[in-house]
Amino acid sequence: MIDLLLTRYNYYATMLLLGIGLYMLIESENLVKKVIGMNIFQTGIFLFFISLAYVDGASAPIVGKDVEAGAHVSPLPHVLILTAIVVGVALTAVALALIIRIYAEYGTLNESTIEELNHD
Amino acid sequence: MSATMIEGVLLAFVLGCALGAAVLKDVLASVIAFAAYSLGVSVIWVVLHAPDVGLTEAAVGAGIMTILFLLALSNTVRPSHDQFFESIRLRTVLGVGAFVVVMAATVPALPEIGSSAPVSTGEVTTYYLEHAYKETQVKNAVTAVLAAYRGFDTLGEAVVVFAAGAVALGVLRREVFA
Amino acid sequence: MSADSDQGRERQESPGLYVESTVIMTTVRVIAPFVLTFGLFIMFHGADTPGGGFQGGVVAGAVVMMLAFAYGIDTTRDWADARLVALLGALGVLTFVAIGLGSIALGGVFLEYPLYPIKKASKYGMELVELGIGAIVASIAVGLFFLLAAGFGHAMDEPEGDES
Repeated sequence: MIDLLLTRYNYYATMLLLGIGLYMLIESENLVKKVIGMNIFQTGIFLFFISLAYVDGASAPIVGKDVEAGAHVSPLPHVLILTAIVVGVALTAVALALIIRIYAEYGTLNESTIEELNHD
Repeated sequence: MSATMIEGVLLAFVLGCALGAAVLKDVLASVIAFAAYSLGVSVIWVVLHAPDVGLTEAAVGAGIMTILFLLALSNTVRPSHDQFFESIRLRTVLGVGAFVVVMAATVPALPEIGSSAPVSTGEVTTYYLEHAYKETQVKNAVTAVLAAYRGFDTLGEAVVVFAAGAVALGVLRREVFA
Repeated sequence: MSADSDQGRERQESPGLYVESTVIMTTVRVIAPFVLTFGLFIMFHGADTPGGGFQGGVVAGAVVMMLAFAYGIDTTRDWADARLVALLGALGVLTFVAIGLGSIALGGVFLEYPLYPIKKASKYGMELVELGIGAIVASIAVGLFFLLAAGFGHAMDEPEGDES
C-alpha cells in the first residue's frame, strides 16, 4: 500500500485533481467558478499524460546527432499536452465571453437565479 | 521511481491550491488560488523534464488565463458574501468520491512512474528520437514532432485559437477587436 | 430584468478599472522592450531549445497587456490599431496554410518541407511556420484582452430591436 503510494503518486494526485475539478463543476453556484473547475480538471489530465512519458534518469527531449536508447523522455505526450493547453485557453476565452453576455442579459452570475429567471 | 522531497512538496502545494480554489466563497480569491495552482503545476512540468510544456503552462495558465478571468470579473460582478468558505454538500462529495475511488482502483495496473514502459520507450518514440535531427534538422524533438511529423494537428490547433477569437467577437456582438 | 443597452450607446469603461501608478508606469516603460525581445527570442529559438511559436506568441502578446496595465486600457486600445491586430492573426494562418499547401502544389504531400528549393528547407520552413503560429497566438491574445475588457456591446451601425 505504501509502496503503491510511493511509486505511483502522480496518478493518485491526478485522481484527486479530477475529483476537485468535478466537484467545482457540479456544485459551484457562480459561473466563473465552474470555468475554474473545468480548468483544474483539464490540468489533472495533463499530469496523467506527462507522468506516463517520464523515464527515470533521462533528460529533456533535446536531441543531438547521436541518441542512445532510453536517454530521453518521450516527446509524444508533450506534443499532445501542448495542443491541449492551447485548446483549453481557447475554450476558457469563449466561456468567459459567454459569461459576460449572460450577465448582460440576466444581471446575475448565480446559477440558480438564472434558472429561476429562465423558467418564467 | 521513489518519491523525492521536492515532488511531494510540489504536489501538496498544488492540491492545496486546488482545494482553496474549490472551497473559498469569493470568486476573486478563487481566481488567485487558480493562478498559484497553475504556477505550481508549471514547476511540476519542469521537474518531470517537460520544459516546453512548463513554458506553455506558465505563460498561458498563470498569465493569460488569470488576466482573462480578472477582465471577466471586472465586466460582470464580484458578488459579496458574508461567509468565508463555501458550504460543502455531502451528496455531491460522496458522488465525486465514488468516482475518484473507482478511478483510483485502476492505478495499480499502470506502470510505475519512471520505468521503461511501451509508452515512453516503445517503437514510435525511439523512431522519432533517433530520426528527428536527421530528417528535420532541428534539435528540439518536440518542435520536430509538432511542426514536421504531426504538422496537420498543429494547423488544427492554430485554427482553433483563431476561431476562438472570431467566436468571442460574435458572442459579444462586436466587429473589431477593440 | 435584462440589462439591455440602447442602440448606439458609447462603449463605457467600467469604473475603477484604471489606477494611475508611477511605479507600474516606470517599471513597464523599462522592461517592456526586454520582454518583447525575450518573446521573439523564444519564438525564433524554438527549433533548438525549448520554446516555439505558442510560448513566444503568448509572451509577445503579454507586452501589450503590460502597456495596458500601465497606461490605461482605452489609451492602449487607441494606440494599438484594431485592424493591425486582426491582420496579424490572419497573416499567421495564411502563412501556415500557404507553406502546407505549397508543398502539395510542388507535387508532394501536405507540409513536406524538403520539396522547397532552398537549402536546409526543413529547418527554415519550420521556423517560418513557428513564426506564423506565434503571430496568430499574439494577435488573438491581444484581441481577446481588448474584447473582454470592452464587454458586451451591440454591433456598430445596426438599429437593434428589443431582446426577448
